[in-house]
Order: sequence, then structure tokens, then C-alpha cells
Amino acid sequence: MAASMLVLDPAARPSNAPVQALRALDGLAGKTVGFIDNAKLNFNHLVDDLGELLVGKYGVAQVLKHRKTGQVPVGEAVLQDFAARCDAVITGSGD
Amino acid sequence: MTVCSAAFTGLGRGQARALGFPALPIAVVPHPFGIRTRDEIRTIAAQCVDDVARLLCETVVADAPTEAVGARAAAIEVADDLEAFNRLLLQRHWSDGLPAIPPTPERVERMLRHTHRAPDEVVAAIAPAFGVATVERIAINAVMAGCYPEYLPVLIAAAEAIAAPDFNLRGIQATTNPAAVWLILNGPLAKQLDVNSGGNCLGPGAWANATLGRAMRLIQQNIGGALAGDMDRATQGQPGKYTFCCAENEDANPWEPLHVERGFAREVSTVTVVGALGTWNMNTHAKDAADLLRVIADTMTFPASSDFVYAGEPWLILSPEHAHILHREGLSKADVKRCLWEQARLPAQRLSAKDFDRTRTGRRAELGEITRAALLPITSKPGHIGILVAGGPGTHSVYVPMSGHVRSVTRQII
Repeated sequence: MAASMLVLDPAARPSNAPVQALRALDGLAGKTVGFIDNAKLNFNHLVDDLGELLVGKYGVAQVLKHRKTGQVPVGEAVLQDFAARCDAVITGSGD
Repeated sequence: MTVCSAAFTGLGRGQARALGFPALPIAVVPHPFGIRTRDEIRTIAAQCVDDVARLLCETVVADAPTEAVGARAAAIEVADDLEAFNRLLLQRHWSDGLPAIPPTPERVERMLRHTHRAPDEVVAAIAPAFGVATVERIAINAVMAGCYPEYLPVLIAAAEAIAAPDFNLRGIQATTNPAAVWLILNGPLAKQLDVNSGGNCLGPGAWANATLGRAMRLIQQNIGGALAGDMDRATQGQPGKYTFCCAENEDANPWEPLHVERGFAREVSTVTVVGALGTWNMNTHAKDAADLLRVIADTMTFPASSDFVYAGEPWLILSPEHAHILHREGLSKADVKRCLWEQARLPAQRLSAKDFDRTRTGRRAELGEITRAALLPITSKPGHIGILVAGGPGTHSVYVPMSGHVRSVTRQII
């Protein structure tokens, strides 16, 4: 049998434990949906179109929109505002 | 929930897991997305709205493997054979594609003797996966990269630096840009460790430069989770993502060195991290300051530059000869920055229509409403231009464009 050696694992797993269970909505009618636009090309148009469709087809009462500035993370004030006013928030991720 | 194009779902899923929301619903739109016409976006919205509605109302449960903060690294038994070890690295996605040194407990222990910090001490959480960079785990990756044990304190300081909020590591690790972490050493330790600051300081031949930069890359991917093709979404990448490290040539620098400029004492040793998109050689035999600055500013001014879109932090590596020309005419480093900032102006009309839109949005807070007739400064103020003096004899300086919304960070090496 070939000789063996021990090596130490160089990789780390994520350190953030799940912070809360996701709460599914019991339907969209009358709800407020927020969009955080990541400012990637065309996402603002997708936000506009999805917002209209969610209102027209699913009875969403209100759509809130916030557009990020490039790669700068969204500020705490906007996050707090969306958390207080929205039943669900949809973000853009990646290109 | 989040919306990703098909090419970015791995990144979206990885980010959700890293941030503690492993069950985050993801709606997928076709890729490429950004180049679609307005009508195509309407069609895509109509196609995916039902998915969006369903996902918002659907309960999903997913496991999230996490690890106790400060946990010691597990030991793995492998055949005592270099080829077998390197195959294991590839299988487990722990490799940068180059042969590595096995991080045996003995080698890691030898490295740990070069810091007073405990092996399980947490140095930082490294984005985008927010893996815990303990002192031990930094040492493991340093061993794999071929670092000598005495290099460890440099990497501990560098890990702290890349996790600083100003560095915006997520913007470097997960971007389509070819963003690399460039390590710059200043102070007496750079000489003690033989970090090259002269000829070929960014080229081959210096063990410290090669292995320190490589260790940073391994830390980024093995602890930070920025695996090429997974959460690292670089379109092409660049050779600097294998290793990118040098020292400042303080002996040939006519001005105060970088770390002194940033408030550290000259006898203190520091590491500075920069989010670098590459190196752009500028070969000019200009013999007077005005001519030299004009040529450098002109080279820095091009329409596909992230610096102009985001008001970034463009860097210059001035050769000692070029630095001497500027200094002998009485220019301070701040004077050089101001001259370059005033001259590196891009007519907004040179930008593509979409890039003009990005610039207008991205720099509105700084510049107000800009028009196609505007002359755009390369960044928001002269002080955001970084200057390093490095290299050997020759008429070559280097422009280093920056990844957007990233600010370099300097930390003392302890």
C-alpha cells in the first residue's frame, strides 16, 4: 500500500448561518412589491415591465423601485424603507 | 427573491447561500440579457412574470452548510505523492491550475510560528462566500502557494485589507471584469523578504512576489469562494489573477513612499491592496514633465474605461526615470495627480450610448446631469489617482485601470 500523508483543508464554508426562514406570500393581490434595480443594462426595463404585469395580472397594489448606483451597495435607509413597506422585494443579481 | 440571467444563476445561488438565505427563490431570464432590444425585454417579462408570481408564493426549504466561526481545518489523508495531491486539488476545486505544495500539518505549523496570533483567530470573512479566514486557513493557502513561513504576517494584513468595506471585495470577486488583487509592499519588511521592487517587479523571478500574490488568489477562491466559472464571473480574466505583487522602489522614489503618503511612519511595513484590471505599458522617451504628463493623461483616456464610468481609482506605476523627470521640475506627487486629473478628460461623446447612460447614472451625484458635450474627469478628485514608483531602468511606466467602486486599502503588517 502506498504511503499516505495528511493535508489540511484550505477551503472555508460560508460563515453566515441562515438568518431567517423565508416567508412565502399567500397570494399577490393587494400586496406591495419592491424592486431593487442593480443598474445592469436593461434591468430597469424589466422592472418596469414586471411591475406593470404584476399589477395588471396578479392584482399587486403597489410597486416600489430603487435603482442602485453601479456597484455601490444599497444604503441602510432604503433597505429599512423597503423592509417596512414591502411584502416582497425582488432584486437583480449579476448581468 | 432575485432575478438572474441564465449565466449568473450560480453566482446568485452562491450569494444567497453566503448571505444566509439558501432558499432564496431565483427567477431566470435568458442570457445575454443586457444587449436585448426594448421589445425583447417586454417579451421576456411576459414570459417570466408567472414564474416570479409563483416563486413569491412558494415555500422552499434548502440546507445551508455553514461552519462554526474559527473552526480548525480538517485533515485529509491522501497518497504521499505530489501528482495525486494535485489531482485532489483539481477535483475539489482548490487549485489555481498550477502545481501546489501539500499543506501538511507540519508545514502549516512551521508557518504559524511566524505570527503571535492564534491559529483559530478570525482575521476576516472573505466575500463573496463570506468564508472565515482564520490565521490557520490563511497559512494553509500560503503553504500551497509556496510561501516561506515568514510571509504569513503579510497575508494576514492583506486578508484584513481586502475585507475592508472600502475595498468592495464583492465587486472584485464576482465581476465580469478581469479584476485582480494587486499587493503592494512598503517599508523595511519588503527588503527583508526580498520582495522585488526593481526590474521585472511584476514579472517572473522573485519567489516572494510570485508566491505572495499567488497565495492571495488562493485565499480569494478557497476562502472567499471566487472560483473561476462559478462565482468568479470574469469574461476573460487576466494573468495577474495568478499572482500580482510587488514592492515600491523606495530607494529610487524621489517622493514620500506610498505608506508615508497614507499616514504611516517610514519604518512601518505595510501592504496595500488594489483592485487592478491589468497593466498597460506606456513607453515614452519624453524628457520634460509637461510632455510626459500629457502623454500619460492621454493614454489613461479611452472610452471603454471603467474609471470614467464609475469615477474609479486609476493607478500609475511610474518608472524611476519618469518619476525623476517629474520631480526635478519641482512637482510633488500631489502636483502630478492634479495635472493628470486635469488633463485626463474624456469627451462624453466618445462613449457608446449605453456607456453614456451608465456614466450619467453612476456619476450623477458627483457631476450632476451630464450631456454628450461634457468633458468627464477620470475620477472625482485628484487624490483618487494612485501613484507608485517601481521598476528598474527604462522609459516605461504603467497605467493600471481599476475595477469600479473600489478603493485601495493599506494595512500595517504586524
